[in-house]
Amino acid sequence: MSVRFHIMRSQLGWTIAAVLASVVLMALWLFPLLWALSTALRPEHETVSAVFHWLPQTWTLDAFTKTLSAGNVPRWLFNSALVAFLVTVVTMAISLMAAYAFSQLRFRGRSLLFGLAMLAFLLPFEALLVPLFRTMHQLGMINSYAGLVLPQVVSPVVIYVFKQFFDAIPADFREAAVMDGANPLRVLWSVYLPISGNIVWAMAIVTFIGAWNNFLWPFIIVTSNDMMTIPLGLTQTYDAFGVRYAQLMAAALLGALPVALAYVVFQRRVTQGFLAASGLKG
Amino acid sequence: MASVSLRGIKKQYEKNSVIKGVDLDIADGEFVVFVGPSGCGKSTLLRIIAGLEDITEGTLEIGGRVANDVEPARRGIAMVFQSYALYPHMSVAENMGFALKLAKVPKSEIAERVGRAAEILQIGHLLERKPKALSGGQRQRVAIGRAIVRKPEVFLFDEPLSNLDAALRGQTRVELARLHRELKSTMIYVTHDQVEAMTLGQKIVVLNGGRIEQVGTPSDLYERPANRFVAGFLGSPRMNFFEATLAKQGARSASVTLAGGGQVEVAADVARAQAGARVTLGVRPEHLQLARPGLEGGGIAATVVLVEYLGDVTLVYAQVGEGGEMVAVKTDADSAPPALGSRVELVFPATRAFLFDEDGTVFAPGWVASTTEPLARIP
Amino acid sequence: METTTLTPAAAQAHTTGRAEGRRQAIPAALLLAPFAAAFLLFFLVPALHTFYMSLTESSLTRTSAFVGLANYATLVQDPSFWSSLWNTFYFALLTVIPLTAIGLLMALLVNRFVRFQSWLQGAFFLPYVLPISVMTLIADWMLQPSSGVINHLVGGQNAWLSDVHWALPAVAIGTVWWTVGFNMLMLLAGLRNIPGELYEAAALDGASGFTLFRAITWPALRPVVGTALLIQLIASLKVFGQTYILTSGGPYNTSRVTLHYMYETAFTQSDAGYAAAVAMAFMFVVIALSLLARMVARRAA
Repeated sequence: MSVRFHIMRSQLGWTIAAVLASVVLMALWLFPLLWALSTALRPEHETVSAVFHWLPQTWTLDAFTKTLSAGNVPRWLFNSALVAFLVTVVTMAISLMAAYAFSQLRFRGRSLLFGLAMLAFLLPFEALLVPLFRTMHQLGMINSYAGLVLPQVVSPVVIYVFKQFFDAIPADFREAAVMDGANPLRVLWSVYLPISGNIVWAMAIVTFIGAWNNFLWPFIIVTSNDMMTIPLGLTQTYDAFGVRYAQLMAAALLGALPVALAYVVFQRRVTQGFLAASGLKG
Repeated sequence: MASVSLRGIKKQYEKNSVIKGVDLDIADGEFVVFVGPSGCGKSTLLRIIAGLEDITEGTLEIGGRVANDVEPARRGIAMVFQSYALYPHMSVAENMGFALKLAKVPKSEIAERVGRAAEILQIGHLLERKPKALSGGQRQRVAIGRAIVRKPEVFLFDEPLSNLDAALRGQTRVELARLHRELKSTMIYVTHDQVEAMTLGQKIVVLNGGRIEQVGTPSDLYERPANRFVAGFLGSPRMNFFEATLAKQGARSASVTLAGGGQVEVAADVARAQAGARVTLGVRPEHLQLARPGLEGGGIAATVVLVEYLGDVTLVYAQVGEGGEMVAVKTDADSAPPALGSRVELVFPATRAFLFDEDGTVFAPGWVASTTEPLARIP
Repeated sequence: METTTLTPAAAQAHTTGRAEGRRQAIPAALLLAPFAAAFLLFFLVPALHTFYMSLTESSLTRTSAFVGLANYATLVQDPSFWSSLWNTFYFALLTVIPLTAIGLLMALLVNRFVRFQSWLQGAFFLPYVLPISVMTLIADWMLQPSSGVINHLVGGQNAWLSDVHWALPAVAIGTVWWTVGFNMLMLLAGLRNIPGELYEAAALDGASGFTLFRAITWPALRPVVGTALLIQLIASLKVFGQTYILTSGGPYNTSRVTLHYMYETAFTQSDAGYAAAVAMAFMFVVIALSLLARMVARRAA
C-alpha cells in the first residue's frame, strides 16, 4: 500500500500529463462521429452554408427520415443484417465441428489437414477475387444471398481459436461422455459447446461485425442496387442522394449503428474475441 | 455374468511398450485392486477394459463376450474418473441421468433410477445443484452415482480417493466397501496407495513396468510375496533389504553372509541355488528386534540414527556399517527407545525372513503357512 | 504369478492395431466435411486457379492460352506496377509507425486509469468496429474543400483528396483513426501481462516515472510491440478499400496501391491473367517482408 502511494506521489507530474493526454485523445477520437451526428441533425442547406456552425441552428431529424424512406438504405440494412446473421451462424457451426474434429478426434493426416487449413492466412483474399467471381458466375450466384454468404464462412481464425480452447478442456469430460454413450457430435453439442459458451459468443460477435463490415466481397459480387449490403451501398449514396451531406452522414450513422451498438453492449466479449483472433497472426 | 478376463493383453504406443503381456481373470462380484508405482500401467489397463484405449494385441472378455472392438458404452461397464469429470453445466440429476438420456430411456425411469442411486449415496438433497456448488466428497459421490445409475456389470474406479483429504479418504473407503457389499457388482479399482489396496481389495494385482508381479489376497501378498518387488511394495515402513551371499544350505534353512558383515539364518528352501550365490535378505520392520550388542547367534550390527515416536509404535532407524542402508525397526511405544548413536544388534526369527535370488524371485519359505492370520478386515 | 493356460490361437485372435484410428475417421470426416467443402470451393481451388491463371493470357471470364512466365516478365518492367508498389509502401510507412506509437500511448493510458477503462477503451476502439464506408464517408465530408470542418480549422479551401501530396497522407490519417483501436488492444494485453511485482520491486529500489517505463515496461513490451508492428505492416500493405473509395487511386494514380492496381487490371481492363500475376507477385513480397521482419525481430530480442 505504501509502496504504491510512494509511486503515485513521485508521479504526480506524469499523472497530470496523462490526464491531459487522455482528454485530448478521447476528444480527437470521438470528434468525427460527433461531428457526423451534428451534421446529420441539421437541415441540408446548413451543411453548405457560408457561415460555419458547430452545432445545428435548427435541430431536425429530416436527414434520417429521408434516408430511411428514399433510396435503398432500409433494404441495405436488411441485407446486411441477413447476410451477417447467416455468415455468423454457418461459420460458427462448421468451425465448431471442424475444431472439435481437429482437437479431440484422432485420425490419420490430422495435423496435415489442420496445417493446410491454417495456410489460408498466407494468401490475401484479394488474390482470389477473379476465380471466386467466376465460380459464383458459373453457379449462378452473382447478386444472391448465397453468393454473398458462402465465401465468408471459411474462417481459419475461428477454427484455430476454438481448437486451442478445446485442447485446453480436460479430456476427462469427453471420455466420460463417451462412456455414457455419446457419439462425437453429441459430445460436441452436449458437453464442449456449453463449456465453451463465452468464447463462442465472443467469436460469434466478432464474426458478425466482420461480416457486417465486409466491403470487398459484396463489392465484387453484387451489381444490383437491391442486393447491396450497407458498406457497399453507402459508397453509392452520392448517386442516390447527390451531394447531400446531412443525408450522407445520416446514412453513415445508420450503417454504423448496429455494430456500434453490438460493441457498446458486448464490449468485453468483443475485446476478448478480437484478442483471441489476433493471437494467431503474429 | 460380470466376469472380466484378459488374455495376452499388450499395449504399445509408437515404440513404447506400456503393457507387456497381461493375463488375468476376475470373477463375477469380485473387488479387485490394481496397484503399483506410477507408470506401471495400472491406469492404462483400466482404460483398456473401459474401451478408452485400444488393445495392440490380446483378447479382452467382459461377461463372457469378446469386447476388444465393442464401444465403451456397450460393454456393460461404468467408470468413476479420478477427477470425477462431472459436466459443469449440468445439475447433479442431469449428470447422473445423462447416459440414460442418450440411451433414450423414458424420463420417468431416469428419474426413478437417479432417485434410487441418490438414496444409496445420500445425495438426494443435492440433485438440483451444479457441480461447482459441491464439496469434493459430494462430487465424488455424484460421480459414483452416475456410474450406479447405469446398472453396469463392472464398475471401474480410477484412483477415486486421491483428490480427497485424509479424513475423508478413510471415511469414503469404508463407504466403498459397504457399496460393494450392497450392490454385489464386480469392481475394479486402481490406486497407487497400498493401504487402499490392502483394505479394499479381495484380490490385489500388483503391476510393475507393464507386467503383473503377483495376484492374490492381501494376506497372500503380504506374507508370501512372490518376488522382491511385491515384498518391498506392500507394508509401511518398507521391508528392509540386505545384500548377502549364500553360505550354507540346510534342508529347510540357509545361512547367508551379509555384505556388511555377519551371518544370519533364514528358513528358506534354497535348493536351486549354489553356495556363494548372491541373494537378498528381506525382513519386515515389525519382525526385527533390537538386542544389545555381543549377544550370541547371528544378528546384524547397527547404530541408531533416528527414532520416530508415533503414539502406538516407535520407529527406530539404524544404520548398518559405514554409510550403509537405513534399517527400520518397528517397536512397541511402551518400551524405552534406544539412545541415538547407541550400537544395537538386529535380530529376527529365521521363519520371518525372506530370501530372494538375483532376479528377485523368492526362495520358497521353509515354514508352514497355515498358522498366519489374515489381516482383520470388514467381512 | 497367477495365470491360466493360454492357447496361442486365442492370444492372436483379436489384434486391433489401427481400429481406433479407423473408428474415429468416419465421425471426423463427417464433422470436417462442411468446412472442407467450403475450404476447397472457396479457397483452395480459387488459389490454385489464380496461380494457374497468372501463367496464362486470360480475360475476366475466360482462361485462354498458356504463356508461361510472360505475365511476370511484363510485370517486372511495368512502371504502373512499381509505382503502385511504391505507393503501397509509402502508405504503410505513413500508418505503421503512428498506429503503433499512438496505440502504445492509448494502451498506457487505459492501463493507468483503470476506473475509466471502459470509456477510454470504448472511445479508442469504437471506430475499429465500423464498416469501412462509414469511415470514408465521414472522412470525405470532413475533408471537403468548402464546407469541410478540417478546412474550417486550418483555413483555406484545400482539396485534400485531390492534392498530389496530400491524398495518401489524408487517407492514412483516416486509417489511423479507424484502426488504432486494434493495436491498442494488443499492446494493452501485453501491458497487462507484466507482473505487478516487478513495478513494486523497482519502486522499492527508488525508480519512478520515466525510469520505470524504460527499465521495466519497455523491455517487457518490446516483443509485443514487434508483433504489433509486423501485423500492422502486413495489414497496411493489403490496403485497398480506403484509397479506392476516397481517391479512386488519384490524383493521377498517385494513391493507387497495388491491390487497387490488381483490381483494375482484372475487372476494368479484363486482363485477369496479368492481374493474377500481380496478385502472386504481391503475395510473395508480403511473405518475404514478413519473414524478414520476423528474422529481424528475433535477432533483436
